[in-house]
Amino acid sequence: MDNQQKLTQTFVQALGISPEQVTDGLTYNTIKEWDSTAHMILIAELEDAFEVMLDTDDIIDMSSVSKAKDILAKYDVQF
Amino acid sequence: MMSNSESMILKGGSVLVTGATGDIGRAIVNECVSAGAAVFAAGRNEDKLSALVNQYESRVIPLNYDVTDEKAVKDAFRQIQIQQNQPNVGPLMGLVNNAGVMKEAPLSVSAMDGLKAQLNVNFLAPYQHMQLASRLMARHRHGSIVNIGSQVGEQGSSGLSAYGASKAALSGASRSLAKELAAVGIRVNTVAPGFINTELTAHFDDEARQDIESRIAMRRSGRAGDVARAVVFLLSKQSAYTTGHVLPVDGLFYP
Repeated sequence: MDNQQKLTQTFVQALGISPEQVTDGLTYNTIKEWDSTAHMILIAELEDAFEVMLDTDDIIDMSSVSKAKDILAKYDVQF
Repeated sequence: MMSNSESMILKGGSVLVTGATGDIGRAIVNECVSAGAAVFAAGRNEDKLSALVNQYESRVIPLNYDVTDEKAVKDAFRQIQIQQNQPNVGPLMGLVNNAGVMKEAPLSVSAMDGLKAQLNVNFLAPYQHMQLASRLMARHRHGSIVNIGSQVGEQGSSGLSAYGASKAALSGASRSLAKELAAVGIRVNTVAPGFINTELTAHFDDEARQDIESRIAMRRSGRAGDVARAVVFLLSKQSAYTTGHVLPVDGLFYP
């Protein structure tokens, strides 16, 4: 499984959405499944999947799938 | 009499205890290990941490850092993130924010540095620990955070306004976080000790001690073990439906 697949699967599991919904444009608080509680679970699952510990500023910035990729790249996760 | 399986109420997971080398901290570590948990013991004194490790062997994992050093705290959680996957450790299911400082001073001679130091150790550091621990716990949708508050924070005490404010901030945050984190299966409670016999209260002379004990309905000072057993209760499933609570461990004390 490559990192893109891993990222998609993490969003699917954390938010309870279908893989087709996980696009770069998917944004926090624009679907009911991605609320503040799901966001916390998403961060936890991303840290687990990619074995990183994110800075609080990065968590605040993680407002979309696209942003998630940019931030994970800072932790040497390449897409 | 409790069976062995009934007493191992924390088996299968790990607990982070800050201030682990003080009197109350050591008692909490002891009770957690007795209840079956692996313990991440955080402290600044390497020798005292080594003594804990020697006493409990593989059940205690030392973490030598200053709780007010934000980077060091994050590094410690990175270690926990890795080590919790080991079979003899288990996922972080408990956090005990026990590290604390108390400086007595009336308002007129309270230095701002003293106020800030107490807020840093007693409130800001526990807050960062809750932030990081909740992320590890959220993965399992399960966890229990126990903050060590104080009856001084709940009721006030002359000469301890800065300390009381820092502890009141902690129990205030605990009540709100209990509501916020319930959605991801994490409980947050506070234990509020009264007058406990520890190194922090060792300087009280007999007269002062008698005066304090006269204001305790149970007419005795508390013991570190009294606090530790309350902590383990709140960490365990025995308190599974309790969150946002402040549990006094004070013999009914009027500070």
